[in-house]
Amino acid sequence: MVAPIPLPMPKNRWIAGYLLVQAVIALLCVILFYRPDLPLPPHEYRLTHAEVSTDAKTWTQAQLPYFRPRDIPPDTPVLLRTEFAYPSADAEKAWSIFIPRFTSGVEIVVNGAVILDSRRMRSVGRIDRNVAVIAPIPLALLHDGANELVVRLHLWGPLTGYLDAPYAGPDSELRQAYGGRAFLFATLPLALAIWQAMVGMILGLIFFARPHERAYGWLAAAMAVGTVQHFIPMPASALLRGLLGASGSLECALAVHFAAHLTGLRIRPWGVFLFLPAALVLLTALLGPAELLPTIYGLFGLPSIGLFVSMVAVILGRAAVARRDWSLAYLGSTLTVVAVFWVHDAMTIMDALPGERILLGRLSYSTVLIAIGLGLTWRFVQALNQADDFTARLVEQVREAEKKLRASFAREEEQSRKEALAAERTRLMRDLHDGLGGQLVSIVAMAEQTGGTKIGDAARAALKDLRLVIDAMEEIDGDLMLVLGSWRERMAAQLRAHDIALSWQVLKPEGLPIFPGLRPWHVIQIVRLLDEAVTNAIKHSGAGTLKVVIDSVAGDDGSPGGRITIEDDGRGFCAQEASSDPGHRLPGGRGLLNMKKRAEFCGATLDIASGGNGTRVDLWLPASAGLAAPGEASFPHG
Amino acid sequence: MASATAAERTGEPISVLILEDDAPTRWRIADALSHHGEFDVAEAATLAEARQRLAESDPDVLLTDLQLPDGNGMELIREVRQRNRTTEIMVISILGDEQSVISAILLGANGYLLKDAFPTDIADTVRDLLRGHSPISASIARFIVRRTQERPGRAGHSDLDTARLTPREIDILWGIAKGFSYADIADHLGISRQTVPGYIKTIYRKLEVNTRGEAVFEALQQGLIRF
Repeated sequence: MVAPIPLPMPKNRWIAGYLLVQAVIALLCVILFYRPDLPLPPHEYRLTHAEVSTDAKTWTQAQLPYFRPRDIPPDTPVLLRTEFAYPSADAEKAWSIFIPRFTSGVEIVVNGAVILDSRRMRSVGRIDRNVAVIAPIPLALLHDGANELVVRLHLWGPLTGYLDAPYAGPDSELRQAYGGRAFLFATLPLALAIWQAMVGMILGLIFFARPHERAYGWLAAAMAVGTVQHFIPMPASALLRGLLGASGSLECALAVHFAAHLTGLRIRPWGVFLFLPAALVLLTALLGPAELLPTIYGLFGLPSIGLFVSMVAVILGRAAVARRDWSLAYLGSTLTVVAVFWVHDAMTIMDALPGERILLGRLSYSTVLIAIGLGLTWRFVQALNQADDFTARLVEQVREAEKKLRASFAREEEQSRKEALAAERTRLMRDLHDGLGGQLVSIVAMAEQTGGTKIGDAARAALKDLRLVIDAMEEIDGDLMLVLGSWRERMAAQLRAHDIALSWQVLKPEGLPIFPGLRPWHVIQIVRLLDEAVTNAIKHSGAGTLKVVIDSVAGDDGSPGGRITIEDDGRGFCAQEASSDPGHRLPGGRGLLNMKKRAEFCGATLDIASGGNGTRVDLWLPASAGLAAPGEASFPHG
Repeated sequence: MASATAAERTGEPISVLILEDDAPTRWRIADALSHHGEFDVAEAATLAEARQRLAESDPDVLLTDLQLPDGNGMELIREVRQRNRTTEIMVISILGDEQSVISAILLGANGYLLKDAFPTDIADTVRDLLRGHSPISASIARFIVRRTQERPGRAGHSDLDTARLTPREIDILWGIAKGFSYADIADHLGISRQTVPGYIKTIYRKLEVNTRGEAVFEALQQGLIRF
């Protein structure tokens, strides 16, 4: 049964299916990450109320978490004052202040002494990384009972001010939550950055070795930017701030180029404009006033990321649908994940989502970039495998072709060998024709005229043998019938001259089987053997009819072969009688031995039976005749 | 054949010209034919002599050797064949080798005669020829079918053009090459036994080249023929 060929799905169904899959992916992202269950210390240590001041003089009541728009100069911190109770009975336990989340910088002041300044800590300033801080309180600072905690909230960057409710309590109670967050928001991004660097390096190497694989180059560049931005600390100089602000947009622009090259979309000349938002952010950081940067970033940097991510998703999705390409569908789906988290982050920044201000875009982007890199590497390896397969097939084909060529050379050689033999035969024939042949014919003619029958017969026999030798020189490719055809003509003429009737019977339409091993020197022996049998019948039997039967038969052991039988209706002979009469060369003695030798030489079997009703010579040739027989020179002539 | 039937009908002897430079051979062939009153035998030992004879009238049968003191017998075959199609032409060959026989066939000969053939066979062969039975030997048949098997274009152009032979004609040649009798061949191929000689004559005619082309004739004469 023929397996049904799967018909490609209609395009509309592909589009619908693709969009459905993307929706499911987005939904899963929301369900899994909408409110990640981030670790928090026990609720009893949470401080939920504070007094807020910008000048340390007028204080207002505020709820924690606290949100603050950027309505004050960059160098002026917002002060949040609160109290916590420290039981001195706990003196042997170390106490700490833990702030799960803030934007953008904090100083923690306990009883008037600064115990932590996040601006001095590399990477803690990276607001996109949701870093928590924990500050152990020196024991000497703590009083029994109420203690004052002031958090100075510094505002910079594109985000508004935010302070989650701090925790004040035993370090042992707070440390676990801090450790969990540090792993998620510090260690994990670092691991991803390093991973991204390595994948980027692999892609870069591929691109370096195969510059026409542009897509790999673009993605490697995006990964390089992603890796570098990870190590930019905040707050920092104007240049670094600009680079950091531009990095997201730049990475996404590079990703658009990657998608375009991967899918063969023509992106020039407008592709260069993709880098405009990143350039604008960088220039603002370098040339413009410091206050302008968050605005420009908010207006161009952040939206361009969302736009570019959508573009990549659309480019890959379209190509996946158009080409029914599963690997492109996979890449497109990863972009959906990034887009979801970009929306999440945008809403978080606009305080449209309740709860902690957690940004997930960067984390998801890094993960997705790695997924794409791995996908590409996989594609590359698949391509290598295909190339290997192709090479293997090619090698196989070359081997086949070589084999055929060699066989054809062998045929060619065999052919030219045959041609050389034929040419030699022609030359020899002309020589014999002009010389020996003509003289023998003259002898025959003169003998007939002078009545020298014996001389005539001898000359005729010599001519016959001459023809046999020339005839046998032609390659017959094991088809003995071709030789028997000529033999029949010569023999029939001989029999006619002696008034002996010839009964020639070929029992099978194909005559004899092919004997691949028979060479010209075997053929001569076979024909001479047959000639001797016929000559014996003519000379000694007094027969009126000679019967030649040619048949294709299996031997006693079942192997294929052929049989040539020569039978006369003469008086037969007796071996003893023949050998006792040396003057009369009957076939019993040397002649018979000679025939047997000839048969043996060719690997054939000869049976001679003679009686009152005539003589029967049976020559059986196995199909392998001549194959295992000795070479040309070894026949004992005699 | 037309002239032969005419001769048989009128009872006139069949005119035969023998061109053979070796006197004993010429005599024994002439003797073999003169025995029977049906043949009017003329002899020639050189090309010039033969041309003299032919100037008077074309014989019914021309038997000619190839190697002659004053030229090649093929010239004569060509001259006669160009003049008429009724004269039956046979080559007298020592060995019945393909080189001479096929060359003669290409020029329009209808067969060959072995120089040492028994006298009765000589007369029979000429009589068969007149009845339209062109003799063909197993080795000649083998030679022709071998050429039909060769891949075209391999050895370049061959003067022996077997392309016009039909599969049936090739089958018949195979049968002859393998020593089958005409009767056996006819039985195997499912044709009437009487038609086999006709097929052979057709084969000869198909192989005949256009001898007006001087180049081919030169090649044939000089033994440069490409088989």
